[in-house]
Amino acid sequence: MLDYNFNFSVIWRNADEFLTGLGLGLGMALISLLIGSVIGLLCAYGRTSRFAPLRALIWLYVEFVRNTPLLLLIFFVYFGLPEFGIFVFDKVESFILTLALYAGAYMTEIFRAGLNSIPKQYVEAAMAIGLTPIKRQTKVVLPVMFRITLPSLSNTLISLFKDTSLAAAIAVPELTFIARQVNTNTFRVIEAWLTASVLYLAAAYTIAIALRRLERRYAAIR
Amino acid sequence: MKDKPTSMDRRELLKLSGVSLGAATAGAVGMVGISAPAYAQKLGISDSKLIEVLDRGHLIVGTGSTNPPWHFEDADGNLQGMDIDMARLLAKGLFDDPDKIEFVKGNPDARIPNLITNKVDIVVQFMTITPGRAQQAEFTIPYYREGVGVLLRKDSELNTMDDLLAAGENLTVSALQNVFIEDWVHVGLPQAKVDQYDSIDAALQALNARRADAQLADLSAVRWQIKQFPDRYKEPGKGWMPNSYAAAVKPGDPIWLNWVNSVFKEAMMGVDFPIMQASYKKWFGLDINSPNIGFPSEFS
Repeated sequence: MLDYNFNFSVIWRNADEFLTGLGLGLGMALISLLIGSVIGLLCAYGRTSRFAPLRALIWLYVEFVRNTPLLLLIFFVYFGLPEFGIFVFDKVESFILTLALYAGAYMTEIFRAGLNSIPKQYVEAAMAIGLTPIKRQTKVVLPVMFRITLPSLSNTLISLFKDTSLAAAIAVPELTFIARQVNTNTFRVIEAWLTASVLYLAAAYTIAIALRRLERRYAAIR
Repeated sequence: MKDKPTSMDRRELLKLSGVSLGAATAGAVGMVGISAPAYAQKLGISDSKLIEVLDRGHLIVGTGSTNPPWHFEDADGNLQGMDIDMARLLAKGLFDDPDKIEFVKGNPDARIPNLITNKVDIVVQFMTITPGRAQQAEFTIPYYREGVGVLLRKDSELNTMDDLLAAGENLTVSALQNVFIEDWVHVGLPQAKVDQYDSIDAALQALNARRADAQLADLSAVRWQIKQFPDRYKEPGKGWMPNSYAAAVKPGDPIWLNWVNSVFKEAMMGVDFPIMQASYKKWFGLDINSPNIGFPSEFS
């Protein structure tokens, strides 16, 4: 077995910081998901546009973000933008912006797939009963798409939450940063990372269960 | 090592090298009428590291390779830096050739073990003198006083330590994540905010990108940055938290230690001063004044 003396007292002493870090991570993930959803929805519709340059622009955005490591995007926004004279965002805002753009690219694809998978008959039926184009979308297409894409959205939220650990690289005091700090200050390596892992696991699993219930309630009508 | 048969080489070296021992031995030989090696043996100096190194023909130095401006590799992979210059001074003193030297590269935590196990003759690796370490190794006289300081952007409106103190809580200092790093910053700048990064280059980039107003680092590293990029950086001209860098030798060999000390001292005060002066200029961008002529340091 491990030849190691566990000492969790440093964890209790820093319990506040661990929990605040966890809360910050959850908050950043949630806000990024909301902003990302808006970006994703707009871009998903944009991709069905007849205006080719818009489609090309969205394609460029999605492929650029999806094929670049998130850490590099974080560095680019946090360290890179100020070099071009853009000082608008502090470290937390920079991170949320990056994560939202990152989420937006993935959600563009999720929503696009969702829109594509709506049975043609639904839209035709909506037309037949005389719904306006806007109402066709808000009353028929979007609710159905939301139900179809719900499982993917749950996945995205959990993965965004785990991605908040990367914010430690730009000195955002979230859970990973706190764990690393406790680790550096006390050398209680295993205790610090074990605590962080358990908190990540518990939080992510709770989100998963809650969303699973939501999915069951709003399961796509088959 | 003791009672090893002596060679002509060593006798020649003892007589001809500039080492004071040589002269003393030669004088004694004339008086008492015994051979030089025998006299060296009688004095107990034949088992000194000094004789061993002279016999071997080159010096073995423990150092590192990853910390500019102390010990790091140039584009061709050759070691350079302040520590390396100090080591070469010793080789020059021993063999009249600064290149008769073998570097053993290791992490800082291998410094004392390498000495104790005789893997190296001396460690020259930005070693801070502490009372604890001084019980395990013997330190030479220090050749640099390290401290922490801050690096500022050249275009920053902050110039002096007073400016930094006046900024109070609005001052953000970036630093490498480390135990007590916040305390270190707060010794010099009690109210400053501290952003900790997991690598030294991220902390520097935070300064470049104006995410931080100042970067905390060893004062030598601050000076090295400014030396390399005088148009990009400046410093407020103050350091805090002093600690002395010295070389270290295995305990129990006063002859070897005293010889190294003589070389280091004369590099700071005497014949080798121009070499030391050039090194300080090269690695820290500092001009040090030539010692006053006429009185030893004790009177200056």
